[in-house]
Amino acid sequence: MRRVPLTRRNLLTDPRRLVANSAGVGLALMLILLLDGLWTGVRSQVTLYEDRVGAQLYVVAPGTRNLFADSSSLPLSALRAARATPGVERASPVRALFSILDLHGKKVAASVVGSVPGEAGGPWAMREGRPPRGDDEVVVDDVLARRHHLRIGSRVEVVGRRFRVVGISKGTAAFMTGFVFVTHAATDELLRSPGTTSVVLVGTHEAGAVRSRLEGQGLTVLDGAQLRAANLQLATKVFGVPVRLMVGVAFGVGTLVIALTAYASVVERRREYGIVKAMGASGRRLLALALGQTLGLAVVGLGAGGVFFVAGRALITWARPQFSVVLTTGGLARAAGAALGMALVAALVPARRLARLDPATAYRGT
Amino acid sequence: MTRMVPLARRNLFQERRRAVLAVAGVAVALLLVLVLQGIFAGAMRQVTAYIRHSPADLVVSQRGVRTMHMSASALSPDTVARARAVPGVAWAAGIDFTTVVVGSASGRQLSYVIGYDPTDRRGGPRRLSRGRAPGRGEAVLDEIAAKQLHVGLGGRVQALGAAFTVSGLFRGGTSIVNTTTFVTADDFARLRGPAVSYVLVGARAGTKPDELARTLAATLPATTVQSRAEFARQEARIVSDMSADIMRIMAAIGFAIALAVVGLTLFTVTLAKLREYGVLKALGARPRRLAAVVAGQAVWSVALSLVVAVALALLVGAVVGRLTPTVQLVVEPADVLRVGLGGLVVGALGAILPLRRVLRVDPASAFRRPS
Repeated sequence: MRRVPLTRRNLLTDPRRLVANSAGVGLALMLILLLDGLWTGVRSQVTLYEDRVGAQLYVVAPGTRNLFADSSSLPLSALRAARATPGVERASPVRALFSILDLHGKKVAASVVGSVPGEAGGPWAMREGRPPRGDDEVVVDDVLARRHHLRIGSRVEVVGRRFRVVGISKGTAAFMTGFVFVTHAATDELLRSPGTTSVVLVGTHEAGAVRSRLEGQGLTVLDGAQLRAANLQLATKVFGVPVRLMVGVAFGVGTLVIALTAYASVVERRREYGIVKAMGASGRRLLALALGQTLGLAVVGLGAGGVFFVAGRALITWARPQFSVVLTTGGLARAAGAALGMALVAALVPARRLARLDPATAYRGT
Repeated sequence: MTRMVPLARRNLFQERRRAVLAVAGVAVALLLVLVLQGIFAGAMRQVTAYIRHSPADLVVSQRGVRTMHMSASALSPDTVARARAVPGVAWAAGIDFTTVVVGSASGRQLSYVIGYDPTDRRGGPRRLSRGRAPGRGEAVLDEIAAKQLHVGLGGRVQALGAAFTVSGLFRGGTSIVNTTTFVTADDFARLRGPAVSYVLVGARAGTKPDELARTLAATLPATTVQSRAEFARQEARIVSDMSADIMRIMAAIGFAIALAVVGLTLFTVTLAKLREYGVLKALGARPRRLAAVVAGQAVWSVALSLVVAVALALLVGAVVGRLTPTVQLVVEPADVLRVGLGGLVVGALGAILPLRRVLRVDPASAFRRPS
């Protein structure tokens, strides 16, 4: 005897309800995928500067762990010491600081980089214009520029001083902050700190030996891996709890939507289920029915979530290019796991209702 | 006089478990928005804590610098003396400010480090919960940071490239991003140079702060002078402006999910009660009455969901605050109102489809035998 595909039929009976369920579950899964993608994007951007600036080692003030979040202040004697160290091919001073720009009445966080013209540390890719040479010149990130209608020749105030935009850099936008490049001398004046710098970028082919030599002179040296770890730790501290909370809430809402749809279906079809029970269906069969239904809803929701995610990601990265949303196989697996989890938890409610269903329901009018 | 039967409520709650699931679904979708708003509202409170609790009427900073968070301000060291000489100024206290990592043998914390004059105390912590103000080579830590760094009074921490002994603890200086550490202005100047970052100014009794701000700005070149309230507002705007994009995205998703759940619930309830609607129509109920029933269901769903969402948000806030003391979740009445209004819009949209279905019901369906 052939089994009646009750689960599939129940799911497909009312397409509008299926659409509403798919939308609810799909949006919840899209949220999980987006948060995962945003978080992966944040992690890939935490060392954007360090990845692009071409240094192997970083000489910083003692206690410094992050180039921009920490206010490292080094005497220029550290630069001279680095340059005199055997194995050092180039050493460039860079001032790195966060700053809040007031652009069109909005507070915009920026990573300000002060570098010596012609040396390492300045913008690594230009969309148009040129790097700053004069102490009243600035290069702004292209996302920042587009968002705030800045172009070559515009004026921007940084730490209370007006700069003229001479270039627009590309590939210099991070999650919450865009990069702004000025000369090192300009930052000396802005911070009233002549004779100091934040970090010395060291280029070398023998990083291990050079590091030992620099540390032997009492200098504090970091490498890319240490900066990455410290930046990730900071990003996790700031965003970790909110992201986990959002994922938890998204999981909850997806579970409830599936449970609501499956439960409503059971309530409305209790006569049919009563017949199934009256015909001798076991508790396991009824549980399988509930689970099949919630799993089916979760799978449809997962598909919808994928579609929503693709559309949502396109919309977000078009409207706000500073947000990098990266889809990974891990992210997909986590979303699929969440969908499965939602289905399993959601099955409890209709399963209980089915287990307690009186077979005599089959013979009642409603 | 005949009493109206509360059809909307009865239809919605006849099947209680379904009603609970529906209300919970919408509530959790609204919770999504409330939680995120709450985290940002909490961050705003945390970021502005130092300045809100300062006794200053006015804050002087480097020209163009209106905030402390993610900012650097450098004033000429003589700014404090010049501010004190301005008529109407009762007192002026300079503070040094930077953001660095404060570390111990057990961990590291990103921290505002504020250098102040402990004999004046106006630039220091509002109140010490334990210990005393810092002396040379000493620091005062926030209690949460001290706990996370596993140091107590007499413990040793590293900051600004030097070692400090913890002389005191205070509360309310740790945010989701960083903590706050106080050292003496002399130690700060020794390690970072003699510049002053901000000057806190108190106005003499009878002096209008606005007028004093204008006089100070005219007297002190290359500075920005703001009232304490304006400075706090500017600080809060860093969080609100930086989070605005994320907020919009999350709110849109939250409301879209709520729309799906409200639509699903109302549609399900409407389908289940089509015969009853047919009876109403056969009895002469006008479309307006039927529309009111559906609208009433939407309002009930959203209103109850909002109450549940607020209760859940408060609960989540309490749990998060206990588990992660650096994260503060604040449910502001204005945020609840905004979410409630958004929820009503969602409810109205979710009612459209069921409403169309109800208006098309054939009164004769009341007399048909149910399947």
